Amino acid sequence: MERSEIYEKLNEIFCDVLDLDEVHLTDASVADDIEEWDSLSHIQLIVAIEKAFGIKFTSLEIMKWNNVGEMVNSIIAKKQ
Amino acid sequence: MVINSFRFLAFFAVVFLVYFLPWMRQRHTRQNLWLLLASYFFYGFVDWKMLPVLLAITVAFWFLGGFIRKSIDRGNAKAASRFTTLGVVFGIGLLFYFKYLNFFAGSFAKLLNAIGLHVSWSTLNIVLPVGVSFFTFKLISYVIEIHREKIQPSESFLEFATYIAFFPTIMAGPIDRPGKFLPQLRQAHQFNYNLAMDGCQQILWGVFTKMVIADSIAVITHGAWALYPEKTSWYLIYAALLSPIQVYADFDGYSNMAIGVGKILGFNITKNFDHPLLARNVSEYWRRWHLSLTGWITDYVFMPLNVRFRNWGNLGIFLAISINLLVIGMWHGANWTYVLFGVYHSLLFLPLILTGKFGKNKKLKSGRRGCVQFKDLLGMIGTHLLMALGHIIIFSAGVPSIIRLFKCMINGDWFFVNPLSLLSWYSILSIVVLLVLEWFTRNKEFAIQRVSKDYTSKTFRIVFLDMLLALAIVIFSASANAEFVYFQF
Repeated sequence: MERSEIYEKLNEIFCDVLDLDEVHLTDASVADDIEEWDSLSHIQLIVAIEKAFGIKFTSLEIMKWNNVGEMVNSIIAKKQ
Repeated sequence: MVINSFRFLAFFAVVFLVYFLPWMRQRHTRQNLWLLLASYFFYGFVDWKMLPVLLAITVAFWFLGGFIRKSIDRGNAKAASRFTTLGVVFGIGLLFYFKYLNFFAGSFAKLLNAIGLHVSWSTLNIVLPVGVSFFTFKLISYVIEIHREKIQPSESFLEFATYIAFFPTIMAGPIDRPGKFLPQLRQAHQFNYNLAMDGCQQILWGVFTKMVIADSIAVITHGAWALYPEKTSWYLIYAALLSPIQVYADFDGYSNMAIGVGKILGFNITKNFDHPLLARNVSEYWRRWHLSLTGWITDYVFMPLNVRFRNWGNLGIFLAISINLLVIGMWHGANWTYVLFGVYHSLLFLPLILTGKFGKNKKLKSGRRGCVQFKDLLGMIGTHLLMALGHIIIFSAGVPSIIRLFKCMINGDWFFVNPLSLLSWYSILSIVVLLVLEWFTRNKEFAIQRVSKDYTSKTFRIVFLDMLLALAIVIFSASANAEFVYFQF
């Protein structure tokens, strides 16, 4: 799966979960960039991402992410 | 030695002058060594018997941090997890030993007695080290952050020990995270005029809220919690309504002083409050209150639980929030009232979770003429009333006292008490000023901060305001030696 395809899907998930009109995620995107993205919505996002990509993250993996780029790396690693 | 005392002023003057000597400014290690000595002197001044304990714990965690990183580098994830668990258990064990052992053993003995097994329990004479709740959380976050690969372990023990014992925050926080604070110890600090002036302004505001607002309300609330059977219903209602303002003015005042002292030395310390009196519901309140503690618990307790319960829907969220709030309640100390406080707050979350309103609220927007919108105001008043009830729980001497206090509040003498007879006119005026400033300066770090953070030009307005506040502190401060509420935690 291409990185750009993952981002396309992620943008849709973020809009859906956070009730946003549009969002443009990049590797450097962090929770502070989006007002609606907090510790509670973060979990809803993870559940939606796991469902959409048919994968399961470990707790430590989730805790280690510093930005969206690192999350995308985890998705790519799981999809390979 | 409280920050708003002449003793601290003399101590800090010496620390400041030596810290910025040209010879000291050449190397950060010299400044760190001086800061560590000053911090240990400060801590020893308050509690010298606990200095060896502080030093020994610091050494142990410094080595643990190194072991975790080495295990990660060797690809031994299991060993890294084990060392991290050891650090967390050790940290919690320390808290348990110093804060809770007497409480649990005493409660257990009472339980056995209640079911007919007679045991005698003589309370252990465990001395609670000052600031243990705060520096233990720093130590735990250090090992977790290394395990999560968010930070590298500190190569210098001097740097690490200075971070743990940093004197402005060791007594009652804010709880700085290693990722934000340790890098600040890796560079020599030159005197930064604007940052230092910003710090002075913040200290001035902190002293004002503590000595003029919090201490004057404390006379009423202390009277209510300790002597409630003698008080009228109105008195107790006023005390409960004023208590959230008192504790906020007290702890925010302390935090502002600590952050301000840090700024004078060139450090950026974590923000502790974000205008909690403007919270429109309980969820928002916890996003604005004691941020360095709630942020810590969110990252290390709430998130791991929430991740684990993520497929359980609302039940998972409620469980994670409830455990989170119980930990926050218990962190305050060893008493069933703190447990009940946690339960009470988690129940307040229940309707928010069921209606999906527990998420982050939209930013506050002004209504006509810059005033607060009516709907938001209603939310703020409702939240304040719920917090006032919570304060009755947390500040009562025990669970039976809570019930008795509520009874006194309802069944007591309904003789109307004029609020002006309880509070002096200047206390009421300063509370009104605080509330108005909370709203109009809600985007600032503290109320009298300059928007530009540039203090090179002193306008008449700023100088006049500073002098007015200083004058108010000198004339109206309720008590020169009143303790800070959070020192007991």
